[in-house]
Amino acid sequence: MEIGDRSVGFLMLLSSVSIFAYYTFWVIILPFVDEDHFVHKYFLPQQYAILVPTFAGVLLLCSLTIFVGIVMLKGRNRKSHAN
Amino acid sequence: MKQVWRLCTLGIVVLAVWISLLIKEFPILPREIVLALPIYSVVALACYGLAAVGYGLMVFPTCPQEAIMLQEEIAEAKEFLQKNGIDISNN
Repeated sequence: MEIGDRSVGFLMLLSSVSIFAYYTFWVIILPFVDEDHFVHKYFLPQQYAILVPTFAGVLLLCSLTIFVGIVMLKGRNRKSHAN
Repeated sequence: MKQVWRLCTLGIVVLAVWISLLIKEFPILPREIVLALPIYSVVALACYGLAAVGYGLMVFPTCPQEAIMLQEEIAEAKEFLQKNGIDISNN
């Protein structure tokens, strides 16, 4: 259990650092690189740099709201059973 | 109340810097970078949050010996209370 928690934490740290490095390179450094450089093959077009985080944020907000709604519904059911 | 004003001042300063970067006459940074900076800051905040949670999970201190001792003490206390006729059932 403890090892699993630690490895999950390490994976979260690693993925967040790699996402930050990739996104920084994509948004900040790539406009300075020449248009025909081979590095451009590894990145989507520039408008996806705004589209993907927005979509991820909307998805996160939706799932959080659904989770809160499910928890509230469960809590109300339990309360009505107790009474 | 003071903290609120400090945060407001910080937000206004950041906004002013961003708007000054938007002025076309003196391009310090390319325009596509300046336009992407707000969402970049959001992504950076999300990455910081994820990294903070992951690091906290990684270095979270556990003490298994103390957990065993605590369980033993709980069992001892329950036995003692039951011997003295005190009801400690869950409901």
